[in-house]
Amino acid sequence: MKASFSLLVAGSLLCVTAAWAFARAPIGGVIENVELTALDGSKCPLLSNATANVFVFFKPGQEHSRTTMIHLATCEKEMAAQSVRWVAIVSDRFPKAEVEAAVKETGIAMPVLIDAGDALYGKLGVVLSPVLGIADQDHKLVAYEYFTKVNFTEVVRARIRFLLKEINGQELERVLNPPAATPSVDADVARRRLKLGEQLFQKKSYEKALENVNKSIEKDATVADAYALKGQIFAVQGNKDAARGAFAEALKLDPANATALEGMKASGK
Amino acid sequence: MLNIDNLEKPAQSSSVRADRLAWGGLTRLILMGLSLGACCWLASAAETKKSEGPPVPKLKKNNLAPLASGEKAVASHAPFEGGDCSICHQSKEVQNPGPLTAPVNEQCLGCHEEFTGIMARKSSHGAAQASCVNCHNPHNAKLPKLLVEEVGTLCLSCHESIKTLVTQSKVKHGAIDTEGKCLNCHNPHAANVEHLLVRLPFDLCINCHGKDGVKDGEGKPLTNFKTLLAENPEHHGPVSSKDCSACHNPHGSDHFRLLSLDYPSQFYSPYDPKLYALCFDCHEATMLTTPETTTLTQFRDGKRNLHYLHVNKADRGRTCRACHEVHAAKQPHQIRDAVPYGSKGWLLKINYSPTPTGGSCAKTCHATRSYNNSAVAEPASKK
Repeated sequence: MKASFSLLVAGSLLCVTAAWAFARAPIGGVIENVELTALDGSKCPLLSNATANVFVFFKPGQEHSRTTMIHLATCEKEMAAQSVRWVAIVSDRFPKAEVEAAVKETGIAMPVLIDAGDALYGKLGVVLSPVLGIADQDHKLVAYEYFTKVNFTEVVRARIRFLLKEINGQELERVLNPPAATPSVDADVARRRLKLGEQLFQKKSYEKALENVNKSIEKDATVADAYALKGQIFAVQGNKDAARGAFAEALKLDPANATALEGMKASGK
Repeated sequence: MLNIDNLEKPAQSSSVRADRLAWGGLTRLILMGLSLGACCWLASAAETKKSEGPPVPKLKKNNLAPLASGEKAVASHAPFEGGDCSICHQSKEVQNPGPLTAPVNEQCLGCHEEFTGIMARKSSHGAAQASCVNCHNPHNAKLPKLLVEEVGTLCLSCHESIKTLVTQSKVKHGAIDTEGKCLNCHNPHAANVEHLLVRLPFDLCINCHGKDGVKDGEGKPLTNFKTLLAENPEHHGPVSSKDCSACHNPHGSDHFRLLSLDYPSQFYSPYDPKLYALCFDCHEATMLTTPETTTLTQFRDGKRNLHYLHVNKADRGRTCRACHEVHAAKQPHQIRDAVPYGSKGWLLKINYSPTPTGGSCAKTCHATRSYNNSAVAEPASKK
C-alpha cells in the first residue's frame, strides 16, 4: 500500500515536471553553481547550502512575472525562518531602473541576479518567464514550476515544504491534486436533520423531533446517534419497547454509544 | 445549503403562511443590519487586497422576510416550515419571534455543521464567510437552496467585472448559461482550489470538453481532449499543470476559442509581436526576433535562429501552430505530425526526427534539412 502510494506521488511529480521548462536541466540533475552580479553590484552565487534553493527567472513589465513575484514575496516572508534561499534572475536586456522598479513594486527581498548575455537562460535552456526552479542542498534540481493562474503559490509552498520535510508525500499530493469540493451529500443532510431533531427534543417538541430524526435515518441509516435520539424520544413519550428497540439499533452501530447504553439501562435492560 | 433537505418541501404550511404579513420587524432589521455589516467588512477587505488578485465585490442587501402570502415557495427552511421559530429566534411566537439567539453564521452552523469543515478549505467565499444570508433566505424562497435570486443573477450582482465579461464578450462560454451556471465550476462556499473552483481547471473543463459531439457557438465540433491527450503524450506546460485558464478565459473573450490574448486564427500570418501576445505572455518574444543566438532557443543551427527564420516574415510568416500543436503532440516540443495544406484539407507530413543535439524535418514544406545546436552552446553557457 505504502509502495503503491509512493508510486502515485512519484507519478504525479513526474507528470507535472514532464513538460518542458528547463530544456537543458533535467529533474534530478545537478545545477552548476555559477556566480552572477547582483542588482547592487555585488557578486552572488546562484545556489547556497540551504536545504531548499529557490531560483526564479522573471521579466520586468510582464504581468505574469509581476503576479508571481508578488506571491513569492509573501512566501519569502512566511518562510524567512526556514532554511530556504531565494534568488531572482533577470536578463541584462532590461534597464536597471526597470528592474529596480519591478523589485520595489512586488516587494521581494531576495537578491536579484543579472544574467549577462542570457548565459544562465541558455545554460539551463529556459524558454519561459516566469519560471521557478527548486534545488536541494546538493544543488540537485528537484522541481520546477512555470506560471499558472491557479494555485501557483500553493504548489510552490508545498514543494518547498516537502523538501524541508515539513509535509509528507501524501500532503504534497493533496496540494498538487486537490480533492474536489463537491456539494452536500445525503450524509450531510442526515446530520442536519439529526441536529434539528436534537434541538427540538431539548425544546420538548417530541413529535417534531421524531419526524426529523426519522428523516435523518432515511438519508443515512448508519448513524448511531440518530437511533439513540429516537430511543430518547420514545422513552420520554413512555413507549419503552420502541425506545429499547431504537437503543438496540444504536448499539449495533456503535456498542459504546453512551446515550444508548444509558437509555437501555434506564429502560430496564 | 440552508434548505435542510434541498427541495423536500415545496409548499408552505398554512399556519406559517398566515403569519407572514405579521413578520417581526425587529428581526428583519437585525438581519438587514448583519447584511449591511457584511458590506462594510468586505469593503474594508477590498481596500487591503487592492494591489493583488481580483477586485473584491460589494455586497447588496437582501430582503430576508418570508414570502408574502400567495407567493409560492419552492424551498422552505425546515424550522420555519414547522413553525419552530425558537430554533433560531428568542421567541417561539410566530407573529413576533424577536431577535436571533446567536449571530447568523453561528446559528446556521449549529445544524449545518459540515460547513465548519467546508469553510476551512483553502479558498473561501467572502460573502459566505461574512453571512449566509447574503445569498440565502433563512425562511423560504422561490428558488431552490433558499437562494434570494437565481444563481447567475445572484453571483453577477456582486461580481460586476465578471458580469461585464460575460455579457459583453464577443465569444461566449456555453458553461456559463448551462444548468448550474456559475456552479458548474465554482463552489459558492469554499473550495480546495483558488477562485472557489470545484477542481483544478482542466478537471472541470474535461467534464464537457472530454466528450465527442460538443460544438462551439457556430456549430463547429470541438476537440475531445480526453482522447487527444491520451493519444499524444507530449503536453503543453499549462495542460500538464491542468491550467486551461493560462490561455483561455472561461468567462468570455473577444478572441476566438476564448483565448485570453491575441493569437492569429490564420495558418499564415505576417510576423507581428502583437498577434502572438498569448504565446509571449510566457514564452520569450526575443526568441523570434533575434537572427542569431546561442541562448534563446534550441531550434537553431549553430547560432542561426531557425525560429526567426520560419516566423519572421512579412508575408507568409508561419504562426506557432504551423509547427507546434498547442495542447499535445506525439513528439517533443509538441511538434506536430503534419500541417494542413491547400483547400482540400490534405495533411503534409513534417517528418520531424529529434536528435540529442537538434533534429531534422524531411520531405515536407522544404527538402530534408537538419540542424545541430550543440556546436556553440557550451561556450555560451560557460561565460
